[in-house]
Amino acid sequence: MNISHDYRNSEAYDELLEPGGQPRSAARALFRYLNSLQPGELEARRQSVDAAIMTMGITFTVYSEAGNIDRAWPFDIIPRVMAKSEWMRIEEGLKQRLTALNLFINDLYNEQRIVKDGVFPLEVIAGSRNFRPQCLGIMPRFGVWAHVCGTDLVRDKDGTVYVLEDNLRVPSGVSYMLENRQLTKRLFPEFFQGCDILPVDDYPVQLYDALAALSPRDGERPVVAVLTPGIFNSAYFEHSYLAQQMGAFLVEGSDLMVDADDRVYMKTVSGPRRVDVIYRRIDDDFLDPEAFRPDSALGVPGLMRAWRNGKVGIANAPGSGVADDKVVYTYVPKIIRYYLDQDPIIPNVPSYLCMDEKERAYVLANLDKLVVKPANESGGYGMIIGPRASPEERAAFAELIRANPRNYMAQPTLSISTAPTLVGDCLAPRHLDLRPFILQSSRLYATTGGLTRVALKAGSLVVNSSQGGGSKDTWIVDTEDACYPA
Amino acid sequence: MLSRVAENLYWMARYLERAENTARLINTTTDVLLDLPKGASFGWDILLKLVGLDELFEEHYREANESNILRFLIQDERNPSAIVSSIRRARENSRTFREILPKEFWERVNGLYLYVQGFASSAAQNRAQRYEVLNHIIERNQSLAGLLISCMSHDLVYEFIRLGRNIERADMTTRIADINAAVLLPRQGGALEPLQERLWMSVLKALSAYQMYRRHVDVHVRGHAVLNYLLLDPHFPRTVRHCLSEIEECLAMLPNHKEVMKVTRRTWRRLTGLRWEGLAPAVLHEYLDQVQTDLGAIHVAVSNQYFYFYMRQQQTTSTARVVNE
Repeated sequence: MNISHDYRNSEAYDELLEPGGQPRSAARALFRYLNSLQPGELEARRQSVDAAIMTMGITFTVYSEAGNIDRAWPFDIIPRVMAKSEWMRIEEGLKQRLTALNLFINDLYNEQRIVKDGVFPLEVIAGSRNFRPQCLGIMPRFGVWAHVCGTDLVRDKDGTVYVLEDNLRVPSGVSYMLENRQLTKRLFPEFFQGCDILPVDDYPVQLYDALAALSPRDGERPVVAVLTPGIFNSAYFEHSYLAQQMGAFLVEGSDLMVDADDRVYMKTVSGPRRVDVIYRRIDDDFLDPEAFRPDSALGVPGLMRAWRNGKVGIANAPGSGVADDKVVYTYVPKIIRYYLDQDPIIPNVPSYLCMDEKERAYVLANLDKLVVKPANESGGYGMIIGPRASPEERAAFAELIRANPRNYMAQPTLSISTAPTLVGDCLAPRHLDLRPFILQSSRLYATTGGLTRVALKAGSLVVNSSQGGGSKDTWIVDTEDACYPA
Repeated sequence: MLSRVAENLYWMARYLERAENTARLINTTTDVLLDLPKGASFGWDILLKLVGLDELFEEHYREANESNILRFLIQDERNPSAIVSSIRRARENSRTFREILPKEFWERVNGLYLYVQGFASSAAQNRAQRYEVLNHIIERNQSLAGLLISCMSHDLVYEFIRLGRNIERADMTTRIADINAAVLLPRQGGALEPLQERLWMSVLKALSAYQMYRRHVDVHVRGHAVLNYLLLDPHFPRTVRHCLSEIEECLAMLPNHKEVMKVTRRTWRRLTGLRWEGLAPAVLHEYLDQVQTDLGAIHVAVSNQYFYFYMRQQQTTSTARVVNE
């Protein structure tokens, strides 16, 4: 079969193919290989990999009326490929960004220099739901708050890669990144043998080291626990997977208790056992009913007290979500310049803050071209996609903006990139993004590539697995390598 | 090991064992019904009392007849001990420890669940299919137990499963052994002896114990001998005595077992002190009740020691929770 011949490029930038239909240099070897396969062979391999997903039990949970069900993870077998040279720059940009964000969070909860210097307005945090006054005056180890960050990247029509958002609360998806690589190795073993595709599988060890460095008891092998909301959480598979990979305990709130000595203990059949570090996968609100929501049944009473007194490490630290906010996002380039005195390596999507008079005027005049998002919401609530809205909807939204300008920010509608995806026995372009995971503790680390999420429906921009999204393996390849002749 | 995980394992084992034994109980009942002579009748309400579900049943049903009771025991999810409910709960529990049990275990539990979902109603409504479906459930349960015996480390995880299985099994054995109490014999009738022999045979068969009984005890099946066998035989794995020694072995592997062991010893002493010969049926029933109560005490001691230890520390005055339903 001749894949690049049959493939019809969309308007958007394609990750694997040039506009003329020729593979980009990083994807050349992959295409030579795909073209060598017999017709029908891709489909056959896809079926065998689907069976493997069932037996390996790679699932995510979907809520439905019939109860919660485990669904097999939707996986597209055609990898997304990126040249190592491009990735190195992105990696550097991701590390730069997280370093600056952590300096920012630490500053906000302590001296607030950035506010005093007039770079960041205080009213933004005053209106932020994720700013936690309970955290004021706390200085966690290394001054780091967000130890695990999932940053969503998209590529626009002209090939520029932008940061779409930073997930600093409980980012998920890394287990699927790891499993996707396992699946691709099964799929194309003969290809892997000859090529320099950079490995991804050191993440669990890196995560363990980052967590272990937070242990309050130096010199002893720390007891690390992954704190999950439980079986009904959609990311439960990942919680259990990471616990297993790190040799950590998988615990729920009710398994933990804080004693009068402010230490955290697990309730085991042999009696209480001290926990040194908690990798929490539940939101701040549900962490500790004494400090946050008193009605939460998921949390551990006294956990904040234990953390504040340095008796337990918590990743990500409570309160780190303050930087996971759409208005704060627009300040990140300034934050990077302020703390690091550097230009941002990866740009933000250009954004307009409606609290600024000039920018608001621009937004109101160009509503038909922009996406407008509320500042403190997440999950796509209360937003408007200008080009897809009716004139009446736009007029109504303009009123909302005028009434509460501080609550809105706007971005141009991006045409996000595509990559060939197997549909039946053919390849068709589908939109995708990339979520790398960055760790910061005693040192910085970024995954090699990350999780590529792909919208499996034609034309769709929604990559979430709960809404018809799937994922691909992400290859960072060394194009200097011998199997990539010019 | 976390107390929560231990408790889930323990209950998973109990649920599976309960499903299997409920299937056995229903098979015996069906068998007994076929053997009843003219004039004799079966007390369905008594059967409900035997399994300790009479009050719950009355909440939901008017009449204690065969079809209502079988639906209640097999497929009614309002009954937490119904076969369907037990297997669903076992499956839910096993989802939370996929990382500690062999991979095939989840697949097989899931398979069993799907099977029961598909066939429960035909087993409840159709006498002809009932035996086959229930036997299939028993078979699949045994395959699950076999998988754990042969494909996982016999560590703490395993001991909590074994503990749950044996407490539930001993309890169900006493209930199945009591089933003849539900048979109401005619006032005047000729040959009661052969009838009773057949009834006791059904009990043995329900527990897959008939062949072993004949080999080790007697070719004749007499009530007191059957009871002696089912309660006190040290070698057959479904007897109360055998279950108790399994329980003791498990406890010996667990930390801080002193209190629980004491309770188990007491049960053991009481059991071996009982004499079954020449008992009036009412006294017999009382004896079996006593054994069930003693097993309940072991369960409470296990729960307090390993599952609710921390709650007790917090609220010393509250009585321990006994059931997980």
